[in-house]
Amino acid sequence: MDLLISLVINGLATGMLIFLLAAGLTLIFGLMDVLNFAHGGLFVWGAYTGVVTYAYTESFLIGIVVSILTGIILGFIMEKLIITPVYGNHVQQILITLGFMLVLQEMIKVAFGPNAIPVTVPSYLAGSWEIGEVIVIKYRVFIIVVGFIIFGIFHYILTRTKIGLIVRAGVINKEMVQALGINIKRVFLFVFMTGASLAALGGMLMAPYSGSIYAEMGMEFAILGFIVVVIGGMGSFSGSLLAAILVGLAGSFMAYYVPYLSLAVNMILMAIVLIFRPQGLFSMIRREST
Amino acid sequence: MNQPALLSKQNIIFAILLVVLVAFPFVADSRTLTILLTQIFIFGILAMSYDILLGYTGIVSFGHAMFFGIGAYSTAIMLKEIQPTIPVFIGSIVVGMVLAGILSFFVGLLTLRLKSHFFAMLTLAISGLLLVVAEKWRSVTKGNDGFTFRAPDVFKDRIVFYFCVLACLVIVFLILRRFVNSPLGRVLIAIRENEQRTRSLGFKTLHYKVISSIVAGVIASLAGSLYAISLRFVNTSMMTMDITLDALLMTIIGGVGTLVGPLVGSVVIEFAQHYLSGLARDYPIFERWIIFFGIIYILAVVFFPKGIVGSILTKISKWKQRDQVPLPESKERSK
Repeated sequence: MDLLISLVINGLATGMLIFLLAAGLTLIFGLMDVLNFAHGGLFVWGAYTGVVTYAYTESFLIGIVVSILTGIILGFIMEKLIITPVYGNHVQQILITLGFMLVLQEMIKVAFGPNAIPVTVPSYLAGSWEIGEVIVIKYRVFIIVVGFIIFGIFHYILTRTKIGLIVRAGVINKEMVQALGINIKRVFLFVFMTGASLAALGGMLMAPYSGSIYAEMGMEFAILGFIVVVIGGMGSFSGSLLAAILVGLAGSFMAYYVPYLSLAVNMILMAIVLIFRPQGLFSMIRREST
Repeated sequence: MNQPALLSKQNIIFAILLVVLVAFPFVADSRTLTILLTQIFIFGILAMSYDILLGYTGIVSFGHAMFFGIGAYSTAIMLKEIQPTIPVFIGSIVVGMVLAGILSFFVGLLTLRLKSHFFAMLTLAISGLLLVVAEKWRSVTKGNDGFTFRAPDVFKDRIVFYFCVLACLVIVFLILRRFVNSPLGRVLIAIRENEQRTRSLGFKTLHYKVISSIVAGVIASLAGSLYAISLRFVNTSMMTMDITLDALLMTIIGGVGTLVGPLVGSVVIEFAQHYLSGLARDYPIFERWIIFFGIIYILAVVFFPKGIVGSILTKISKWKQRDQVPLPESKERSK
């Protein structure tokens, strides 16, 4: 029983981190029809800038703020410089965002050095609770709580506010939204910057969880993010949460019971979804698969 | 061949280049340069095979490294387990090609029906999966540590191997040139330009795309086999994303949609890699030479989508157009 609980907590915490990455990806894809292969780069940049600030100021909170700011700034630059010129051309989008990913990843090594940087958990989040026989690590609970709060906030924005209405309408039919006199370009920029800041925040929260950060982790997490987006359905915000939790749980259970399959299981899951239900499990858009 | 008038001038240039390359090892007695050129040829083969997918069929695959890795591993394993002789080496190339062909057939059949985004993602995932398999299957692959093996004695001489690789390059180049100029190759170009229209003309585009991915996979496996021999060592890094990225950079910078482009790209990238990492001793920024290529690559995608060779060809054909009938050569990529 205690094993089960700690596996679930583990899986949920990982799932939340992936969710932060995938939420931006899925909205950007649903709204703008852009698959951002550089999303992992934003994740790493968030982690590095946040961790360095955290090390200087010794305040985890300031680190988080800085990482979010990094995400917003990078998101702005990226949307303007990288995404806008190739808007509407899928092959070029894939190529250019992958190239930018490469640049971001190498810039990390120039700016912060190629070695992994160790990160400690802030003292007020370190340690664990013992409930009966179950040991619950505080930081993991913290990640889960933050993840649900962020989901709550964005769910509220998406379903209860005007901007959320525009975004949701844009996901379903952006030409119609444009025809109604809304500057969809500005909405694009807003969504892109939000998605970027979520990814950066995810990176920052990831850092103490895994204990160290390195430049290549962006691509590793981005692949998990893609898997979640595919399983959850492109453009579906709640779908990405469910799929992220699914992927996180599958990862943590497989890592314990069948370690050989832990990485493979998600890939296989994605392959099956793509082949039999290319629009994703929870997708609300109907788009032909070819 | 089928276009004698056009090819005669080209062929002369190729022949001159070939003579220079053949004479090179006898004239310049530089071991490093010979090895570097061998490397360029091998990656040129890989980049050409990638261009069949990217430049001619218009599909982005992020899993090309898996075919390269299959070639490398089948050569390494067979030379180690059976014996290091030439027949075994040739046999291993064939085995690698067959395996790569079968794999690319199934991967293509499963994935090529999907839109470009999903295809790119799924190939990324499948090659990631294969990488995990290679890393876990330690009894055969020795995981990330890799293993060394003895190459056939003939290849001990770097110059012999140089000629062997050069011969492979020329053969692959000729075969692929024939391939892309064949009616089948024309259909692939039609798919790149407008898949829907090609389909409504009655071509089963999925079949053609699968054929294109098989050809690309088989050639990439050959490049992998040669690469394994050149290092006399394999490990799982030959199946990582980095190899795919190399092929991608070479193809984009050299010029998509031509066969010469990837070769030029291979020359540029390998030389730059060699000399820039040499400069790194004095200027540490050059250790991260890939940044410059990333930036050049991004600029190339936006401003010169045809790469070095494509841009030059457009210039030439424009210059010729002034007093001649327009050449059908410079094809705009779909915007």
